[in-house]
Amino acid sequence: MRKHTVLGTALGAVLGAMLAATAGATAVQAADREIVIGYQAPLSGDRSQYGEMFRNAAQIKLEEFNASGKLAGAKVAITFEDSKDDPKEARNIAHKFLDNSKVVGVIGDFSSTVSMAAGEIYAAEKMPQLSQTASHPDFTKLSPWQFRNITTQAFEGPYNADWIIAAGMKTAAVIYIQNDWGISALDGFVSGFKAKGGKITATEAFNPGNRDFRSILTKVARQKPDVIYLAMFYEEGAAFAQQREQLGIKIPLYGTSSLYSPKLIELGRESVEGLHLATTFTPDNPDPAVQTFVKEYAARFKTEPGMFAAQAYDAVGIMLDAVAKAGPSVTRESLRDALAATTGYPGVTGATSFDPVTREPAKALAKMTVKDGRFQVVTGP
Amino acid sequence: MVFDVFFLQQVINGLSIGCVYALMAIGFTLIFGVLNVVNFAHGEVYTIGAFVGLMVITALAPPLLAVVPLVLAVGAASGVGLERIAFRPFRRFTDEASQKSRAMREATLLSSLAVSIVTREIMMHIFGGDMQGIPSGYLLQQPVAIGPIMVASGSLVIFATSAVMLGALQFLLYRTQTGLGIRAVSNNQLGARYVGINTDRTIVTTFAVGSMLGATAGILVGLYDGAISPHMGFAPGVKAFVAMVMGGLSSIPGAVACALLLGVSESIATEFLSSGWKDLITYSLLVITLVFFPQGLFGHGRERA
Repeated sequence: MRKHTVLGTALGAVLGAMLAATAGATAVQAADREIVIGYQAPLSGDRSQYGEMFRNAAQIKLEEFNASGKLAGAKVAITFEDSKDDPKEARNIAHKFLDNSKVVGVIGDFSSTVSMAAGEIYAAEKMPQLSQTASHPDFTKLSPWQFRNITTQAFEGPYNADWIIAAGMKTAAVIYIQNDWGISALDGFVSGFKAKGGKITATEAFNPGNRDFRSILTKVARQKPDVIYLAMFYEEGAAFAQQREQLGIKIPLYGTSSLYSPKLIELGRESVEGLHLATTFTPDNPDPAVQTFVKEYAARFKTEPGMFAAQAYDAVGIMLDAVAKAGPSVTRESLRDALAATTGYPGVTGATSFDPVTREPAKALAKMTVKDGRFQVVTGP
Repeated sequence: MVFDVFFLQQVINGLSIGCVYALMAIGFTLIFGVLNVVNFAHGEVYTIGAFVGLMVITALAPPLLAVVPLVLAVGAASGVGLERIAFRPFRRFTDEASQKSRAMREATLLSSLAVSIVTREIMMHIFGGDMQGIPSGYLLQQPVAIGPIMVASGSLVIFATSAVMLGALQFLLYRTQTGLGIRAVSNNQLGARYVGINTDRTIVTTFAVGSMLGATAGILVGLYDGAISPHMGFAPGVKAFVAMVMGGLSSIPGAVACALLLGVSESIATEFLSSGWKDLITYSLLVITLVFFPQGLFGHGRERA
């Protein structure tokens, strides 16, 4: 009997110690709870330069956020996956993020095509997804789980069309990249331009990876439009402008915000002088938030951030603010609701609010042109 | 009015891009002609040529003509290295059955593909995936007006280089002892070995020469395009491959002619259809050639084991 009591006491003591230890461990865990955001982007392959910019900007924002103490009792980490700008890879990544119970939200992907391929899975499995750059109109129509902080081509195209018409030009040729995004940029511009009484002389698609635009330029030059509208990325834009100069064609160039990058001027040099575009981000903006970001980015990565880096910086910021709002015990569901409630997020690409019904961002665009070897804000038409 | 000065400009545009394909196809076809295997790493040799050229230009700012010998040397070295890593290990077995075996050929094809991917990824890690601009003093982009037609200076340089390469290569192959050796190995490797030709040395020479041409093509096209990237070799590599197949696999003049034909077809297709169709035109031409001319347009009906 006594023996039993001794044994019981011993057992009780051990159990108690174990319980205490477990409780202690739980307490420690609560203090250091780790919330993970998945980030899928092209980190290799021929769009990897965009993925690199996203990762660079995301790291700055994440460190700022974790140091800010906005979220007590938890630390946020971002896990990067390389989608190679390939829809198949994006689907694999989507499953990987869904299987990881720590991942409560996903940022990415880069192109609309790849974002939507992953988005279909996130929509079905209820994971909030915020893309920094997917501007195809259908992306946010997938499900209530998709968000983006970039203006769509359905908004930007008519905006640019108005600008061109206001400058007195009535006929335009559109050169666009043959992918989902390029087609949406074409549609947005053409419908806006026609609505204002403009006339489209030609719409020419080119395949991604193409670097020779001489034959397109020759074809377009024959029709003598007032303006050439470019729906493409900066590498292609720089090559296009150079070849235009070589062929002695003087038709002015307007383009989508995707051309906005210091690299456009570095590669295109004098040939991009006078190119016009509208953008949400300018590094010259005197806003202190923009200047802090530009200085930090330049100090770390030895280059001025372009629009793509700024988009990623804000996307991460919006996501992290939503995490903070949803509290330390955030779920995929509560994070989605917090994202949807985003109003007036003060980012470097302007204030962002999501429309409660369409979840489309409302943003302001700035008119820019390349003058004296750098992007300058256009005031006037 | 379709056949006007713009149409003529379109043909010239086509010849310019055709010359780019031809420049790459020459070295590619030479190596295929000798070994009877596709060298998938040729596009990377081309990219290496471009990057080494750019590094020399930014570091030393030498006159353009001084860059060429260095690029040639690097091309030759990468050709020799490539042969050692991806091709020689599969030539251990010298009996007739192994040499004619399909498995052996496919193994070298895959090993060259592996080397190409590894090289490209290493270049991506060193230089990043972004396009690298060329210092403006070296660009071959000055517009040259020939009557109402505009050409970039680079097109003329590339055209001249293709012509010189083609001529020099024909001279090497048909007028020199080395060329005789290359042709003997290309015709029958075992036979060549039996009559005392050092086949290993001949193959290494072929790789060195082919890769020298490839590397030169890389830097020239880089200066003409105004930007280079680790991925630049892929698209022209595919077109050069199509030109080689259409030209009859081992005929170098045939590959050049077909490269020009592809360039002009793409350019004219843009005029009548849309630029988005131009890859379709290229591959349709390939299919049509293979259906109606199984030996290629300039093939010799040589036996392919």
